[in-house]
Amino acid sequence: MNLETRLGPLVLQNPVILASGTCGYGREMVPFLDLDRVGAITLKGLSVMPWEGNPPPRIHETAAGVMNSIGLENKGFHRFVQDDLSWLETVHTRVIANVWGRTEEEYIGIARLMDRLERIDAVEVNVSCPNVEKGGESFATNCRVLHQLIGAIRRVVQKTLLVKIGPTVAELEKTLKFMEREGVDGLSVTNTFPALAVDSERQCLVFERKVAGLSGPAIKPLALKLVYDVRHLTHLPIIGMGGIMKTEDALEFLLIGASAIAVGTANLVDPAVALEIVPGIESYLVAHGMNRLDDLIGKVR
Amino acid sequence: MKQTPVTAIKTRGGSFVELELAGKEIARVSRPGQFVMIGAGQSYDPFLKRPLGILSVQEDRFSLLFQIVGQGTKLLSQLQPGNTVSVLGPLGNGFSLHPSEAVLIAGGRGIVPLVFLASHFQQAGIPFTFFWGVKNELELVLASYLASFSPSCVLSCEEAVSGYGCGTVLTSFSSWEKTHPLRSGSRVYACGPQGMFRVMQKIPFFSGVPVEVSLEARMGCGFGVCLGCAVKKKEGSGYVHVCKDGPVFLLPEVEL
Repeated sequence: MNLETRLGPLVLQNPVILASGTCGYGREMVPFLDLDRVGAITLKGLSVMPWEGNPPPRIHETAAGVMNSIGLENKGFHRFVQDDLSWLETVHTRVIANVWGRTEEEYIGIARLMDRLERIDAVEVNVSCPNVEKGGESFATNCRVLHQLIGAIRRVVQKTLLVKIGPTVAELEKTLKFMEREGVDGLSVTNTFPALAVDSERQCLVFERKVAGLSGPAIKPLALKLVYDVRHLTHLPIIGMGGIMKTEDALEFLLIGASAIAVGTANLVDPAVALEIVPGIESYLVAHGMNRLDDLIGKVR
Repeated sequence: MKQTPVTAIKTRGGSFVELELAGKEIARVSRPGQFVMIGAGQSYDPFLKRPLGILSVQEDRFSLLFQIVGQGTKLLSQLQPGNTVSVLGPLGNGFSLHPSEAVLIAGGRGIVPLVFLASHFQQAGIPFTFFWGVKNELELVLASYLASFSPSCVLSCEEAVSGYGCGTVLTSFSSWEKTHPLRSGSRVYACGPQGMFRVMQKIPFFSGVPVEVSLEARMGCGFGVCLGCAVKKKEGSGYVHVCKDGPVFLLPEVEL
């Protein structure tokens, strides 16, 4: 059975990816699953400098989901190289580096550093970060700013370039067109959905930053809709994600045209679940008389 | 995900429940101070697993003790022998196990990891004194877990109860400490509410001896990937994470 899939120039042995922020820098998952059996892992978002993230509370459980306000906490590029890179060289899975910055210059800085690392197969850009030069508005919500950012990053990244977009991205059609023009290789759809939690006992908002990102099965229908819309607006390969907990969820994203899928929040609850989804997809293909993954991708229009 | 069978469940009153699970692997490798993440429901609500401290281990099974505080723990309390749950663990760093002498200080349900630690000290022949304090009579149902250490225990209750010192666990410790100098190489181990740790950080005695504290936190994953259980570092900037860097920390390390 051929489960191989492509994201531009990047070939994955199967379409199941571990999403950024739910599998650490890879090593954290070793007690639970064999990383070499997933299609790729996406590292926790890294910036050039270490970043301490938001004050607690950082997570809040909802019905069939989790809200988070981690605030992009990460150890910074240099400590990542010191602590994790040589270990990552011992595994064979594809490694996608998720990167972010507070300014265009910081984005270019981290993208350039990642591009030079042999062990990194692709760079995924998180564009849902506050732009400190624009009063903290998200890069994703300003089409012109985003266009310039993506162009600038593309010029320094030779490797596969993926852009992670979510529901807050402005002017979707226009954005997708310039992503194509700038030579982006693929899209990760979706990021978390902005959401609010209220503490009625203490009569206040749960999170200090007020709005937090909702993920988990609660967002799956919303994520499917966004993937579906994106699929009809661009030919760029899509990594579909948002509430994938089991094989059937993964199949739904593949059927509407995602070339790969990412398991995110499910990893928190069952860190080995990706290794149930890989054979799950395979059995489905067999049961439906298909002999390669490509027969499945985009079958539902 | 692998399912672990429930072998026994005992309601202790005062909303405390002891849950015994089959699991040779977890029983064999667990150390005092470690915890497991346990799935409370079969559906997506509640969605996350719950972190619970390990109370004791036998050859092929282990026990958890928890208080019903919300929907997740309520569902866990309704399990029956023969039901199965999904469990990840053991997780976290655990206590250091080789002091020359130990003082254990537990507040309320903070007794759980220290009962496991005390059994280790008892087996290893390490002398210890176990201070346990509760707010009210309801929590005294947990006293039975100290029965096998009773000569080494000092109990206190903030409500007047016969047989118990009146006041907090820290008042009873402070009066004991005046007449019991600790030998060198001693350590203090504590688990309880945040308020107890905050008071400890202000008592000069505790800056002269290594104090290990086990923290409780709401967790997303329990194994260091979601970074949800952040606690501010005392020195410098940034956070530590209870699940992976802890749950056991040195008292001066963390801002409580």
